[in-house]
Amino acid sequence: MNSSRFLLWWDRVIAMTVKELKQLFRDPVLLAIIVYFFTADVYMAGNGIKLNLHSASVMVIDHDHSAASRELIYRFRPPYFDLKGEISGKKEAENLLNKGQILAVLDIPEHFQRDLLRGKQVAVQLQVDTSNTVLGTLATSYATEITAGFGQDLAMQQLGLSAGQVDSLPVIEDRHRVLYNPNQIDSWFMSISELLTVITILSMMLPAAAAVREKERGTIEQLAVSPLTPLQILLPKVIAMSLVILLGTAVCLFLIIIPVFHLPVKGSIGLFFAVTALYVFATSGIGLFIATVSRSLGQVSMLVILLLMPILLLSGAWTPPEAMPQGLRWAMAISPLYYFIEMGYDILLKGAGIAVLKDSLLGLTLLGLVFFSFGVWRFRRQFG
Amino acid sequence: MGETPLVNENPVIKIQGFCKSYKKQAAVKGVDLSVERGEIYGLIGPDGSGKSSLMKAIAGVLSFEQGELEVFGIKVDSESSAERIKGRLGFMPQGLGLNLYGDLSVEENIDFFAQLRQVTPAQLAERKQKLLKITRLDKFRDRPMKNLSGGMKQKLGLVCTLIHGPELVVLDEPTTGVDPVSRGDFWAILAELLREQGVTALVSTAYMDEAARFHRLSLMYDGRILAAGEPEFICRQAQGSLVELSAEPQIQALDQLKNHYAQVEAIGSRLRVFVDDKSPNEASKAVSDLLVGVEVKAIRASEAELEDAFIALLRRRRLADQKTNNHAVPRLDPPLPEGQGIAIEARQLTRDFGQFRAVDRIDFTVRQGEIFGLLGANGAGKTTAIKMLTGIVPPTAGEGQVAGADMRYAGQTIKERIGYMSQAFSLYLDLTVLENIHLYARIYGVSRSIIKQRIAWVIDIAGLADVTGQLTGSLPMGIRQRLALGCALAHQPGVLFLDEPTSGVDPVGRRRFWDILVRLARVEQVAILVTTHYMSEAEHCDHLALMYAGRIIADDSPTNMIRALQQEAGQLLKIATDRPLEALALLKQADFKGAALFGKHIHLLALDIETVKKQIDALLDKQAIRLIDLTVHAPTLEDVFVYRVLALENQELS
Repeated sequence: MNSSRFLLWWDRVIAMTVKELKQLFRDPVLLAIIVYFFTADVYMAGNGIKLNLHSASVMVIDHDHSAASRELIYRFRPPYFDLKGEISGKKEAENLLNKGQILAVLDIPEHFQRDLLRGKQVAVQLQVDTSNTVLGTLATSYATEITAGFGQDLAMQQLGLSAGQVDSLPVIEDRHRVLYNPNQIDSWFMSISELLTVITILSMMLPAAAAVREKERGTIEQLAVSPLTPLQILLPKVIAMSLVILLGTAVCLFLIIIPVFHLPVKGSIGLFFAVTALYVFATSGIGLFIATVSRSLGQVSMLVILLLMPILLLSGAWTPPEAMPQGLRWAMAISPLYYFIEMGYDILLKGAGIAVLKDSLLGLTLLGLVFFSFGVWRFRRQFG
Repeated sequence: MGETPLVNENPVIKIQGFCKSYKKQAAVKGVDLSVERGEIYGLIGPDGSGKSSLMKAIAGVLSFEQGELEVFGIKVDSESSAERIKGRLGFMPQGLGLNLYGDLSVEENIDFFAQLRQVTPAQLAERKQKLLKITRLDKFRDRPMKNLSGGMKQKLGLVCTLIHGPELVVLDEPTTGVDPVSRGDFWAILAELLREQGVTALVSTAYMDEAARFHRLSLMYDGRILAAGEPEFICRQAQGSLVELSAEPQIQALDQLKNHYAQVEAIGSRLRVFVDDKSPNEASKAVSDLLVGVEVKAIRASEAELEDAFIALLRRRRLADQKTNNHAVPRLDPPLPEGQGIAIEARQLTRDFGQFRAVDRIDFTVRQGEIFGLLGANGAGKTTAIKMLTGIVPPTAGEGQVAGADMRYAGQTIKERIGYMSQAFSLYLDLTVLENIHLYARIYGVSRSIIKQRIAWVIDIAGLADVTGQLTGSLPMGIRQRLALGCALAHQPGVLFLDEPTSGVDPVGRRRFWDILVRLARVEQVAILVTTHYMSEAEHCDHLALMYAGRIIADDSPTNMIRALQQEAGQLLKIATDRPLEALALLKQADFKGAALFGKHIHLLALDIETVKKQIDALLDKQAIRLIDLTVHAPTLEDVFVYRVLALENQELS
């Protein structure tokens, strides 16, 4: 008897899940959005956003016009810098910087070569537009490195040493080994980060949209008088949307990230999908909560955006946890994306197994249970 | 153009060969219409018959492809000409309070519309005062619109439409979803304004029984006008007679009649047959000769009513869907036990929402095989009562049994045993008919071994065989409602709850729907509890309960209810005069409180008919108003409803 009740319970859930999938596949707009997110959006993120300096436009004010100044200028070269030519004065430089047409201006003083040859200390000026902090900082540090390198080479020349004899100088060399992403390819980091963000958006958005649509069309009323429990109404939406999101994730990994960006998957893909499923389930709880407080699809979208912001900011994707004030570091514990990003990179790039992930896994599971129960509880209060 | 030069006043609205399409879907297919100054002109037809498109075009807010449209003698053919007429007319679109702002108060709404129409402050103050008084909204000036009842919202909508003093008002289904009392109010206000200000009104409705309210009307169907003219004229066009009879056993008599006549329906214990091309006497004889093996208890023949005429006209033009359900698929499970088992029982059922008592100690019983009607104004507590009985809302006090389970403890069991069809259509528009039925069969736990057979039964009983593969969104209202009924029947429940199941369905669709309900009750012994605003529909019920302010104020069979009213308030007098508006004012002054205007007639309930006749004669004589005709009729359920509710309202006021 008990087992037949159990089977009936699941039979109802399955019937509802099939219904959700049918409805989704008959909604061309929603389908187009999902396809776009998992393909074009991730592709653009991987291809478009660079954290290395790339083709930063530079102009030069060369007051010296010597071999040394030319040598220095020559070192500002592609792919990092794009030398746009020479200008004559500060006024013009300021003007171009103001208009945002160039990122930096290198100012080489008169007697640059003469002073260098005399062994005097010489300063060059670099004016950088840092209204975009990331670009500005990158340009500054690259430029510093170039000038320092130029200075070192010049010093060695004067000491009569060739470039190969650098070992005989008392210089500390910084040899860093880049782990996990040896070539520091941005597209790996960016595309995975975008994929995880897309999963976050859709796992809030899709179940919430499916639930609120029942409200909008009044179909919820018919379900409320049926023998379905609130959980049987909500669970199918989460199951159906999770399936769609997992399918989308697979498409994104195997058709975009792996073949296009050549991501070497270090860990187990199966584990990654399992973690993703857990994450979608956890985040859909937030979606269900959104559905209970909104009356229309429009309100759902607004609330998703509203909640997405703190989830992203607290996820550690943009700022490492260590750089956050203590209070916010605590708050990160309630951003499900924090755990997901950590586990996602750990599995895909570092090849981590369950043993390494168990703390994050536990955190995400707890968070998921809290969110999901809260969503169902709100829904039950509204329609139960 | 100018064929009638002797008429000094041009029609307010003149339309010729009007056509309107949405993409490839033709909505209006060639309509001619003319509305004279000072008349209430009706457009009657089901949803989707083209009424709204026509009205929007007249109001200058919808462009059209073909035909000529003149309003106030101005040809409307461009944006700029439309702008010229807009200031002189008022338009109220369809939907309860849809053109109003929910968060603004009654007064703020009126002020907003006045500012929009550039009404001067002095005019505004005067008109507002007057309109609020006759609509009896002056007590609710500060109440936000969203907290008004349906009837009050419509009255406010009317006030906002009239605030700029238009010469013509175009009202799109102002009485849909409004209870009979508020509906009566609404018509009275309109008649009053007509008399005082000489406004012309074009009003659409889906209720056939409102036809008598119009001076002239057009019956619309599928983008065309079936018939136009005065209500009596249209009834005569149907050419036939209506025979009403009661016979035992009813279902056998019904089947025999259906084999012979195309237009037959069962209403409660009565059968109604429309007989083509025969006078009442001939028709009555033909019907009683036809019936074999059934006992005819009473038989009466009369002229056709508008609804019968409408269906007859459709039938002649082969527009009506003449298919009847053949019920070829047998029910697999044994039918519910015949006899007098109690299906629903409410004892002292009460529900409070905070301070507000929505349902106040109601008692009633519904037996297996009985159709029980719950009537009442919007907000009378019908929906809350249903929600308690279906287990959605727990009761504050009292108890109830539904389908053999106690509603206080066995909510889940009840949900599995009942069928429910909600007020608004609530199935999935993006699933096909078959998919919807299949989904509900599985939700209700129909086992896989019989699901095919069960779906076949549902499709057969709801008459859906032709549309199984279609997306629900593409179906007309009438079929959607049958599908909703079918889904509610997927688990063959013994008790069925229907919350205003037929709003917006055309008369043909409504008949077919009730056909199914009657069969379910009589043959399958299903207990049916239904709420409705259509009083003509309430007559289908075996038993009625009338709710007011959360209480049941009358509980009896329709026939007994009408009989009780006859004993208490008398018969219905229909009075025709040459100056109906003045006559009405006169009668009201002379303490005939219940007098109401129906088109050119005045309706009045009177106990001592002879004395009242004399009184009326004398009154009218004094003002030299000519009495054309005075006829005596039995009151209808609508009269019962309005009389009972108004009596209570007046009691509360005093």
